[in-house]
Amino acid sequence: MENLEKENNILLEVQNAFKIKGKVIRDRRVEVMVSKDMVSSVLLFLKNQKGFIHLAHIACIDFIEEGEFQLVYVTWSPEQKIHVMVKTRVDRENPVMENIDNIWDQANTYEREMREMYGIEFPGLVGDHEFILEDWDEMPPMRRDFDTHAYAHKTFYQRPGREDAQDVRETITKRSGEVIPEYAKKYSRE
Amino acid sequence: MSTNEKNSKTILEYISEWSRKHSLFVMAYGTGCGAIEIPSTMTSRYDAERFGIRGAATPRQADVLLITGYLATKTLKRVIRVYEQMQNPKYVIAFGSCTINGGMYYDSYNTINSLDRYIPVDVYINGCMPRPEAVISGFVKLQEEIAAGRCHKGEKYIENLEWYRANQKKIIKNWRMPDYNW
Repeated sequence: MENLEKENNILLEVQNAFKIKGKVIRDRRVEVMVSKDMVSSVLLFLKNQKGFIHLAHIACIDFIEEGEFQLVYVTWSPEQKIHVMVKTRVDRENPVMENIDNIWDQANTYEREMREMYGIEFPGLVGDHEFILEDWDEMPPMRRDFDTHAYAHKTFYQRPGREDAQDVRETITKRSGEVIPEYAKKYSRE
Repeated sequence: MSTNEKNSKTILEYISEWSRKHSLFVMAYGTGCGAIEIPSTMTSRYDAERFGIRGAATPRQADVLLITGYLATKTLKRVIRVYEQMQNPKYVIAFGSCTINGGMYYDSYNTINSLDRYIPVDVYINGCMPRPEAVISGFVKLQEEIAAGRCHKGEKYIENLEWYRANQKKIIKNWRMPDYNW
């Protein structure tokens, strides 16, 4: 049985300061669900008073069924060696999120990637709009309703001889006898 | 070799093709992930210098351009510029399955699927990535093609320039490249 004392202590301290939900996932991983307005206060509290001084990553997950993006801020404390993940939900139709550039400098790069790949706006973000892709004027490509297969077939010349290629997911599920669940069938490429 | 044979070459052509195929200067440009196989081909285990292959610093000093792997549209613009700066006779070797039919990234919004429509290619080497022995066999095949006199694609690029340009401009939207007047 692992000793999860440090992780539980951190979770209790954050929940005493703010009234938010959280969970200890496993050894060295704590997650906290926050609403959009309170993100910078929670991050500043973790950075200045609890020793979580390193922002490791900002990730974005597209929940197209619920109509929201989920942003995850992953912070790390070098003394206690724990990751605390701060998770928020942002509306998908008009995605605007606060710019945390003044807390950590590296957030600038992550937020520019979010702006280009998902279309999330960060007011006050300084940097070129063109970050990785060049001359891109379609919809942001990492969203789930962007069909990359159709776009690739429309834009690039395909050498003939590849029409009988099998979809990887279908082949593996047929071979191992599993069933693709209902919510995932909509994105099958048939 | 008498000059009465059908596919005979003059002595001058024979000597020039022989000397070209035994000293290939490779442009030092790793385009994609296959560039990881180039250092192991050049170093002492699978020695490529015994074939006369060595690296060249600039496009003006190079003979061979290696397209090692996938080409994003951003890289394609720079590769075209490099290819047009190389001087005739020039050869292109394409590594990996991404140049043949798209490979692993065939449904990506950013990578091209068939290299032959944008720059002319002499030899394809398949694999993902080809091993150093496969790379050396590709170079030996290129030497055979040069000796047979089939590698004049640099001049054919200039003749069919409108066709290549039309294909390139369909993909690269912001065309800010110099007009080369060879």
